[in-house]
Amino acid sequence: MDAVALDRAVRLQVFAEVAATARMTTAASLAAALDRSPAETEKALRRLAASRLLVLAPGSTNVWLAPPFSAVPTDFKVRTGERTYWAICIWDALGIPAALGQDATITTWCGDCGDELRLAVRDGALVRPAGLIYFGAPAARWWDNIGFA
Amino acid sequence: MLLFRSEEHIDRWCAFRELPRGETMTPEQTWQLAQGWYGDKLRPGWRRKTVEEAEATLTSIGLTEPFWRLRG
Repeated sequence: MDAVALDRAVRLQVFAEVAATARMTTAASLAAALDRSPAETEKALRRLAASRLLVLAPGSTNVWLAPPFSAVPTDFKVRTGERTYWAICIWDALGIPAALGQDATITTWCGDCGDELRLAVRDGALVRPAGLIYFGAPAARWWDNIGFA
Repeated sequence: MLLFRSEEHIDRWCAFRELPRGETMTPEQTWQLAQGWYGDKLRPGWRRKTVEEAEATLTSIGLTEPFWRLRG
């Protein structure tokens, strides 16, 4: 398997696992699932991160983001029928039901007053939407600090 | 990208942090954007959007101001 094929296999496995389980996989788990060495798998993860297809936690090969999925709990909780997912922003939070093709309820808080706000997706539509989504940085600068944009 | 109750809450949040004011989307626009951006993400044939395709996704939901251009 060449690097391009391995990178694709790793990417597909990362997304398949997090979609199915709501838990982000690890390099060791990927290596076992794809029958590759941990070193090969870690190199693939680094290449995918360099291409901005994944975001790794600093100084590691732990996947932090497989957009729209976050490996760690955040202020954007996405509850589907059976699972709880996390996203780093409201756009990604809505991206989870879009990617899964499932109903979801998103719970977050007003960035100013801290009151709980919810958005619900039912049968492919947003139900009683409220609030406004705020973008602090222009689109050309989103990747300067993707955790803050 | 945060969710706020209203414009007033956004203005207060920016003022308190002394941040320049950015732009807003409605939840409906963001849902449309999320569907265009991530709707095919789990499909085996997914590929990254070109810059032109990504900008077209933004303009298709009415985001045409320079703020939403991906090329700086």
